[in-house]
Amino acid sequence: MTPILQAENIEYTFKFRPSFFAAKSIFELGPLSFSLNTGETIAIIGNNGSGKSLIAKTLVGAIQPQKGQISLLGSNENHANKKTRTKTIRMIFQHNQSIMNPALSVGSMLHLPLNLNTSLGYSARRAKIEQTLLQVGLLPEHYHFYRDMMSDGQQQRVAIARALILDPKIVVADEPFAALDPSVRSQTVNLILKLQKELGLAFIFISHNMGIVRHISDKVIVMDKGKLVEHGNTQEVFKDPQHPVTKKLVDAHFNLVSKHFEST
Amino acid sequence: MALLEIKNLSLYIPTGTEQVKALDKVSLTLAAGEIKALVGESGSGKSLIIRSIIGALPETWSVKADRITYDGQDLLNMSRNQRRQIMRRDIAVVFQEPTSALDPSVKISAQIQESIPDEFIDKGFIWQRWKQRQQISISLMHKVGIKDHERYLDCYPHELPTDISQKLMIAMALASEPKILITDDSTRGMESTTKTQILRLLSKLNKTKNLAVLFVSHDLLAVTNMAETMTVLYCGQTVESGKVKSLMKKPLHPYTKALLDSAPSFQVSLPPKSELIALKGTIPTLQHLPIGCRLGPRCPNAKKECVVTPIPRKIHEHQYSCHFPLHFPNVKGPDKEVHL
Ligand SMILES: Nc1ncnc2c1ncn2[C@@H]1O[C@H](COP(=O)(O)OP(=O)(O)OP(=O)(O)O)[C@@H](O)[C@H]1O
Ligand code: SF4
Ligand SMILES: [Mg+2]
Repeated sequence: MTPILQAENIEYTFKFRPSFFAAKSIFELGPLSFSLNTGETIAIIGNNGSGKSLIAKTLVGAIQPQKGQISLLGSNENHANKKTRTKTIRMIFQHNQSIMNPALSVGSMLHLPLNLNTSLGYSARRAKIEQTLLQVGLLPEHYHFYRDMMSDGQQQRVAIARALILDPKIVVADEPFAALDPSVRSQTVNLILKLQKELGLAFIFISHNMGIVRHISDKVIVMDKGKLVEHGNTQEVFKDPQHPVTKKLVDAHFNLVSKHFEST
Repeated sequence: MALLEIKNLSLYIPTGTEQVKALDKVSLTLAAGEIKALVGESGSGKSLIIRSIIGALPETWSVKADRITYDGQDLLNMSRNQRRQIMRRDIAVVFQEPTSALDPSVKISAQIQESIPDEFIDKGFIWQRWKQRQQISISLMHKVGIKDHERYLDCYPHELPTDISQKLMIAMALASEPKILITDDSTRGMESTTKTQILRLLSKLNKTKNLAVLFVSHDLLAVTNMAETMTVLYCGQTVESGKVKSLMKKPLHPYTKALLDSAPSFQVSLPPKSELIALKGTIPTLQHLPIGCRLGPRCPNAKKECVVTPIPRKIHEHQYSCHFPLHFPNVKGPDKEVHL
């Protein structure tokens, strides 16, 4: 496996007011380091407010870390170039509902990233859009659909299509499964597994769903109060969690699972 | 006798020119002290059932049902006042979005106080009544496992962590000492530790107060940890219901089977990163409902008979609506199964 992304000692600090009258607090993310290989999946877990979404945002460049660096490896293009970065790393956001513009058709929404980041002509773009729609399990007809005509699951697929349309090497996703129904969730999981197998897609995702984390990730990163407290091979972390936070999350999950098997 | 009984409830929603049948002959019962799960995907009609129970539906929608009763009393044909009384005292609902159900501009202490029925407060001077309300509020918070009440009473809703707001919602729902608690998707998006706490809390209330709980969710792991019985809903139709144990062991309906298959935690020997079994397609919109069995277009077992809506059938306590159930029950030899 070849490393494709490397995060070295990234740190991000910001001040915020928890409430109007309270004193300012400081949130410190990191320092944290990890690397991602082609075709690999890393899951980020941890309690609410532990900094998981911040990591995702720094990876896609929505936030600039004050210290350390994130480097994209394995391609000889200029990494400082923002365009290259947008093409290589794509993000699927947490609430696709609010991201998906109700006034735009699926087609125009997918033309946009192609317009901004490629020099493809109209018909080439149309062909690419059609291919991507099929790839995520939608139909060419969906080109003409608007948000309100689609179910949650279909909207989620549009969000995935928008991430995939630039043929990225890495996809970062914040809770991609939380809003999905069981049957659509399995379809999405299968889609990601397929893309990894076929295209060597690397995938980083944040999730509370420990069953899915355990099933699809190769490595896990456990966050607590902005710090990386555990990092390792998924199967090993689930078998033998080291940090108390990890223990709690893993135990709680296995308790639920074992109660299920006791009761059936 | 069932504490809450819904028999053949259909709900019609007008959309432009036509009416859509959002709920199609849904039946559901809840006994006193029972925990029942209502399971179904997004858009299957779970929240519509709740709204039909509490009577919070727009005037233009029409409800048809053989009956909806609470404790033997007909909810559909009683006066508004009587119905409101039952909703105020006996049936409490915790809604899906805790932060939107709480008033963002009012402090927590005031919101809890508000939820305590006047008749619980003895007459007295205004400050004595206030004190009484404050005491009840604090004991309600303790009851749902919020120990450091001081820390939260003076907060506004947005200042609370999600687990605390969910617990507060439950505390407020319990203020009237209801017989039935309905929780709408209260563990969605929670991490496993918080989820465990909420589930424990509900089970405890059920045991100590004999509270009946209708647990609405599509989180199967939570459901099997909580509920004795479950009803599965697909696209506004009840597809299967019975003991959680028997549905998990031997689902008769293809949709229930698909639901179970979708949870990787339930598959004992599933190799990591292997493909999950999934139904094709997605739940149709109300405007494009298939005729007959609504699972039809997605069902791996569908045959031409399925264009006729299957009537509910019952074996023992297990009810299902499917022309070709997965484990065909053999009446003479209960150990033998025929796979269709
Ligand atoms: N006000 C409304 N007008 C028209 N259709 C509606 C309205 N409210 C709900 N529906 C439709 O009724 C169906 C059932 O909705 P409901 O809110 O009961 O789903 P649910 O099972 O609670 O889903 P979720 O798990 O997402 O909460 C959906 O197809 C929805 O689009
Ligand atoms: S009635 Fe037919 S379509 Fe419906 S679930 Fe049964 S087999 Fe499938
Ligand atoms: Mg709902």
